[in-house]
Amino acid sequence: MKRVFAGLLAVAFGVVLLLGISASTGLFSYNEELLDDSAASHYIAKDVNGDTGEIIFGETMDAETGSANMVTSVIANYRSFDTLGEVTVLFLAALGVSLLAGSMDKGRKRRKSGFILKVSSGILFPLMLVTGIYIFTHGHLTPGGGFPGGSMIASSFLLLYLADENFRANVRGFKIAEGIAGTLYVVLGIIGLLAGGYFLINFLPTGVVGNLFSGGIIPIVYVIIGLKVGSEITGIITDMFNEEVKA
Amino acid sequence: MSVLSYILIIAGGIFYATGGLGLLRMPSLYTRAQAGTKATTLGTMLTLAGVIAARPEWTLKILLIMFFIVATNPVGSSTLIRSAYRSGVKPYGQPEVDDLSGFYGKEEEQ
Repeated sequence: MKRVFAGLLAVAFGVVLLLGISASTGLFSYNEELLDDSAASHYIAKDVNGDTGEIIFGETMDAETGSANMVTSVIANYRSFDTLGEVTVLFLAALGVSLLAGSMDKGRKRRKSGFILKVSSGILFPLMLVTGIYIFTHGHLTPGGGFPGGSMIASSFLLLYLADENFRANVRGFKIAEGIAGTLYVVLGIIGLLAGGYFLINFLPTGVVGNLFSGGIIPIVYVIIGLKVGSEITGIITDMFNEEVKA
Repeated sequence: MSVLSYILIIAGGIFYATGGLGLLRMPSLYTRAQAGTKATTLGTMLTLAGVIAARPEWTLKILLIMFFIVATNPVGSSTLIRSAYRSGVKPYGQPEVDDLSGFYGKEEEQ
């Protein structure tokens, strides 16, 4: 009986949601004024042929997103909310690995690594770290951004794990960095809600296209994503190595 | 200038082709690794040098790429080959010199 009731309730809920989103039945009462005021109508009504002043790299001021990279404009500005969800997916994946593999240090010895790898990792690790940071701080200017930059940071830590059998990353530090980055992303969105009316709106001046300090909140979002992705993937690598030692 | 760049890029391509041929024809893992890494390192260097000749304004960026390849490719291949040796992959034929024989076994026992 309980199951039948729950099933009927779910079906009714689904019907309300399906009918509600259509303008003709209008259960959620979409009125014209609300549509006029929403972000969606701004982009629906936007004319492709209007506002086509030529964009000159290094000169154009206060463009809509201010990013020199079109894909970044979409990912970190127009669909920034979607990116927040993607970062959450990665967080859940890292959490799952952590629960399965366990972040406890079993403390057994790993295989000794080769001399050549050991010496060269000392030279390569800082270079890889700097390159990763370069990629996510320049995400609004060049191809790349938070996800590849963060992966590069994580791979530099993977190199340290491979090169030194006694190396242990500071897991607690990475977990804290990850939590702070995730919180900052949401806080940035809420500041946008307060300042501009929409969650994650680009509320800062966008500056000159092509400069390092341009694009409003886009570089801030990408630095946050870079730190979060880097610390999450490093956490996954650490969990994997600990699991391998246990087996 | 563009003739020089074409010559360099074609020379790089020849090295790549030789490396691919070596991967197909060499008899054992160790000899194949020689073909796969040494030939491609030089091939990439020559191709990138050809790009510098064609576009001198990209020189700094390409030198950075060259540095990364020089720094990583040999390290990666030596690490791969080292773990292959530890896993007991046999070299082709009867090598006259094998300085590593018995070395890794002892290290594990310690």
